[in-house]
Amino acid sequence: MSDRSEADRRQQESRVQRLIRRPEAGAMVVMIVAIVSITIASNGNALNALGIKNNLAIIAQFGIIATGAAMLMIAGEFDLSIGSMIGFSGMSIAMMLKWGLPFGLGAATPFSAFFITLAMTLALGWLIGTIVVRSGLSSFIVSLAFLFFLRGTTEVCFRLINQSTQISGLEDFKETSWFADIFGGEAFGFLYDIAFQLGFNLNRRGEQWVTGVDARVVWWIVIAGAAYIILSRTQLGNWIFATGDNKDAARANGVPVNRVKVGLFMFTAFCATIFAACQVFDTNTADAAKGNLMELNAIAIAVVGGTLMTGGFGSVIGVVFGAVTFGLVANAVFYIPWLDGSWYRVFVGVVLLAAVFANERIRKRITGGI
Amino acid sequence: MAEPYLKVEGIVKKFGPFTALNGVSLDVYPGEVHALLGDNGAGKSTLIKTLAGVHEPTAGQIYVEGKPVKFRSPRDASSAGIGTVYQDLAVNPLISVTRNFFMGRELLRGPKGIGLLRMDEMDKIAHDEMLKIGIDISDPQQAVGTMSGGQRQTLAIARAIYFGAKVLILDEPTSALGQKQQMEVLKTMMRVRKRGDIAIIFITHNEIHSQLVADRYTFLALGQVIGAGKAGELEHDEIRRLMAGGAEMADLEQELSGI
Repeated sequence: MSDRSEADRRQQESRVQRLIRRPEAGAMVVMIVAIVSITIASNGNALNALGIKNNLAIIAQFGIIATGAAMLMIAGEFDLSIGSMIGFSGMSIAMMLKWGLPFGLGAATPFSAFFITLAMTLALGWLIGTIVVRSGLSSFIVSLAFLFFLRGTTEVCFRLINQSTQISGLEDFKETSWFADIFGGEAFGFLYDIAFQLGFNLNRRGEQWVTGVDARVVWWIVIAGAAYIILSRTQLGNWIFATGDNKDAARANGVPVNRVKVGLFMFTAFCATIFAACQVFDTNTADAAKGNLMELNAIAIAVVGGTLMTGGFGSVIGVVFGAVTFGLVANAVFYIPWLDGSWYRVFVGVVLLAAVFANERIRKRITGGI
Repeated sequence: MAEPYLKVEGIVKKFGPFTALNGVSLDVYPGEVHALLGDNGAGKSTLIKTLAGVHEPTAGQIYVEGKPVKFRSPRDASSAGIGTVYQDLAVNPLISVTRNFFMGRELLRGPKGIGLLRMDEMDKIAHDEMLKIGIDISDPQQAVGTMSGGQRQTLAIARAIYFGAKVLILDEPTSALGQKQQMEVLKTMMRVRKRGDIAIIFITHNEIHSQLVADRYTFLALGQVIGAGKAGELEHDEIRRLMAGGAEMADLEQELSGI
């Protein structure tokens, strides 16, 4: 009895138990259920050569912004301006490409249009973050203000300069510019080539059907991969967790809490800009309504992926699973003819609520509540 | 007699018209537990915050190893070897023991910020440092939230010592704990004391705890030192009287019976 210590009261868990208790576990189960049921219901069409390309396009879109939203949520803040930031940066890039650089600096290239836009969005991210950390106001309210501000600015700029809230028929820059191609072009073509050689990926005439997935899939892999390494392996990752968990404790131990938060607001702005650049250079269009409600999708995916609303805990892998699930379900209407597209939102509502309860259980277990 | 590591002379701290500390002096020697006792509002918290660099004193002087020092920030105090373990411990419950242990001072391979964490090495140091002062955590990757209050206290103390604290300020380390865990914390304090090179300032309400571990006492009341002395020199009743802010127990008994 006397040699029993406090440590003995904690049961050692087996490998399987640990796996089940990881924050990603729930998201993975939901993802597998979604993949299997959509594949069956669509007679496999959702996962044929074109299905994979189309699904990955939206999965990557979701994945890019959800990664940014999740990182910021782990640090304890929200960014509701993501969707409007997408609209703003898409407008900015397309407008420069169509009407030239501001202040009469001549015609824009994809390169200059992108980087000038990125400089503006990073500055906006910095501004939102700085207002949040300096004022101590809830990021919910501050970023909500920017949701309206940026959407309004986008529409006003469109009408003032372009006389219409849409730009279409831009030149197909990805044909002539490598820089536009890394956003709007295709990638992983070799996989489709191999599939073609192996006798898949044929169209009705027996020629190669699909030549590659959208370039944004690469951006998603890069952003999610970088976020994973930063969060799990680096000093910055430790600071992000510490900032979201108990920021006073983090500050007392020398963590630059405010700089971490401002940096992550800039990161969500970066993700939104990449999202927009991929969209503009892929479709050669822009629209003032682009990215509408995307901030809410991003937050929902982050939550379903196991990120706590209160911060301090979350997983990039869970966000990847969440993005796959949401992307597949959002696209399911195209493969399952009898399906009403609005079921997507029903699904999101149900899964979100279930995920919040599951996450709360995880939080209580870690903090000793159960 | 050894030199005091930390010497405080005539510290005055005023917040506007309110005098929180009115000329407090104390000497803290390495290898000793210095109990700082006093009722609520006596100025204990203000005193430790002044020592920890949170407040700048209005007047008076702090000496470390005989040299006068001035702390402008908590960082100044901690680099002078003053480690403060606050009541809320400054730990993050959702992240692991190791990540908490090295929070803000991670061991890296590569540049600051984005350098990779040397996690195995950090795990081993966190485990060994906590074992040295008496707690064998089976898994340094477990979340701090799963640990008991006493274990968290040990983590905070081990962290402060590992990062160079020569004076350990413990702010009511036993107050929020159960009986058994209080004893664990007292044992931890005695193990730290036994090393001989670290001074402990032990802030407490509990006269029994202070008598179990303290070598030296300072009593505060209304911002002033009302009594001080070494453990052998003070009588039990005297300690109790000073703890109550100098009120005579007999008077209190009389007052109580008169109600």
